[in-house]
Amino acid sequence: MDHLTRLENKSIYIIREAYYQFKDIAMLWSVGKDSTTLLWLCRKAFFGHIPFPIIHIDTSYKFPEMYQFRDEKAKEWNLNLLIGRNEGKLKEGMGPDQGSKLDCCNELKTNALKMVIKKYNLKAILLGIRRDEHGIRAKERYFSPRDSQFKWDYENQPAELWDQYQSTVEEEEHFRIHPILHFTEFDVWSYVQREGLPIIPLYFSKNGKRFRSIGCLPCCSPIDSNAHTIDEIVEEIRISKTSERSGRAQDKENIYTMQKLRALGYM
Amino acid sequence: MKLFKGKAKKALIIGIDGVPYSLLSTYIKNDIMPNLKKILNQGLTLHQMNASIPDISSVSWTSFNTGVNPGEHGIYGFTDLKPKSYSLYFPNSKDIKAPPFWEMLGKTDQKTSTLSQNYCNKISHPYRSIIFNVPHTYPALPMNGILVSGFVAIDLEKAAFPQSAYAYLQSINYLIDVEAEKAKEDKSAFMKSLFECFEIRKKAIFHFLAEESWDLFFACITETDRLHHFFFDASRDEEHPYHESFLRFYGELDKFIKYLYDQFIERSSEKGFFMILSDHGFTPIKKEVYINRFLEEREFLVLKNEGNFYERVEDKTRAFNLDPCRIYIHGKDAYPRGTVRKEEKAALLEEIKKILRGLKGENGDEVIDKIYEKEEIYHGPHTRVAPDLVCLPKDGYDLKGSLEKKEVFGDNIFKGMHTWHDALCILPENIHLSKKPSVENLAEYILQYYTQ
Repeated sequence: MDHLTRLENKSIYIIREAYYQFKDIAMLWSVGKDSTTLLWLCRKAFFGHIPFPIIHIDTSYKFPEMYQFRDEKAKEWNLNLLIGRNEGKLKEGMGPDQGSKLDCCNELKTNALKMVIKKYNLKAILLGIRRDEHGIRAKERYFSPRDSQFKWDYENQPAELWDQYQSTVEEEEHFRIHPILHFTEFDVWSYVQREGLPIIPLYFSKNGKRFRSIGCLPCCSPIDSNAHTIDEIVEEIRISKTSERSGRAQDKENIYTMQKLRALGYM
Repeated sequence: MKLFKGKAKKALIIGIDGVPYSLLSTYIKNDIMPNLKKILNQGLTLHQMNASIPDISSVSWTSFNTGVNPGEHGIYGFTDLKPKSYSLYFPNSKDIKAPPFWEMLGKTDQKTSTLSQNYCNKISHPYRSIIFNVPHTYPALPMNGILVSGFVAIDLEKAAFPQSAYAYLQSINYLIDVEAEKAKEDKSAFMKSLFECFEIRKKAIFHFLAEESWDLFFACITETDRLHHFFFDASRDEEHPYHESFLRFYGELDKFIKYLYDQFIERSSEKGFFMILSDHGFTPIKKEVYINRFLEEREFLVLKNEGNFYERVEDKTRAFNLDPCRIYIHGKDAYPRGTVRKEEKAALLEEIKKILRGLKGENGDEVIDKIYEKEEIYHGPHTRVAPDLVCLPKDGYDLKGSLEKKEVFGDNIFKGMHTWHDALCILPENIHLSKKPSVENLAEYILQYYTQ
């Protein structure tokens, strides 16, 4: 069996196992390449008809291309799409320029997700995170419990040994399930290439720049790249030495710290 | 376990960020702080004190908290470069290499220092501390008591230990800090927010003081530093539109000190330990001085256009500066693109010192007051990562590390700048000082009190 098929098999096994264990389950789709890969795997796992809802957390600050792609594919793949928005905070004008970026992410992403989980009484969420993405994610498990406050007690996780993925769930907790945890960025692109998966055009080079990672429009910046096709992206990633999320205003604390120091004349 | 509560040792420490000895003396004399004047008559003495070098809050408070110099605690500023790289990072509480006094007193210290080695075996039993709003204690690390971090705390949940302290702070809509960004847009609104922030801080301090048990209570007020950054020109100028507000703030501070002092007296036997200190002084600002621009003009520093901050340093660079005036030699062994060889370093340091001494302001006055090589002022295992040269300016010239400036001198919205030589401490009068104290000397007096 080749490398990508092995990765795919493992993911599909986890997806099916998760659905078997939790009926109140949904998948989080950011419309980016990773969660679109996960969506593709879910479709494969259930022969084209995903038996659970797909959640998109809409901060209202996403790229127009993302909304278009989301709506097109939801229709084409006949998805049960749920949109999560923190309407209260959006009405109050929450945005990256109001208050801090940290507050903005907290309200429009984390709290919006909390609301969806509560509203639909979900017990488990499938997410497309990968172990190689970010330092802290290296500690993640395939089945990762969160308490009602969304706290992740990573020092006290259930065992995941010898391919035993079973776990029990406490009241008030929900499980996060990460079926593509074992994919690397390079694997994802190779898989996209092999499967001919549709992908948002933001990932392709335009005027010498492309997005390597996408989130909200005000907090993402493109990288220098001339990769116009999936093949060219695969080649670019293969030889790249910089971090995938380097174009994202992702380390929110650092940005806020910088803002605070600058306001007092440092830096 | 002590059975007689009345005999328990109690210490209360008040930090007043950025309050200069000279200004406080004037305000005491002019009856702007009548309560503090009375307190000073009860067995306490006001001293002028030297801050840490550099005179930056994160360094100075860490020097106070640990009782050791930066060569031992490892903090040289709000920013630093990761080893062997040009990437900027923000050192936080986890980067401090020496234990603060509350960890020694609480017997929870896992690190050691020259100071802790002298005292750890003499502390008879663990003392419980409440540490409130002290800069550079973020994230809040587990300790014996309660800790609420000060500047630069970002996420309140990570700024509070234990979790119950966070729950309380959240319930009162506690503010970690004023939004200094707002001072640019609306000075009067900013002044108002300084008072509001002080109010909410007092509320939290009074709560912990009254509702929690403690052997040592240490609370810092940081609004004074913000007030000075943006309004220091109002401190002595009676015509200034904000003079009255400035004095009113000090009036509030005076009442706050009285309240804490009275609470302390009520809770402690006669032999309690009371102390007030600031982490640096303040003086009016004449000009900002951009040292990196100066190094660029003299061809010590060459920057390219791509990259963030110090990633722009080119291989031709021989030296660069980090805030406020921490000069690093671009050594071959120390940086990926470094070119300066070991044997060239001494001559290069002399060359840089010479041009810095020659740096003159508009009226031909000197800008740089003191220049130190790292071995002259730092000692300890982390002197290795210290800046090669550190400068202190003449009052009025605020040295900066910006890489973006096109002129050596400039103006900004700030009205005050830090000073090294004019911090203050108020100590029990039985502590006799043979020379002007430095901020890192004070922790030992606290430890002496608990071990005598």
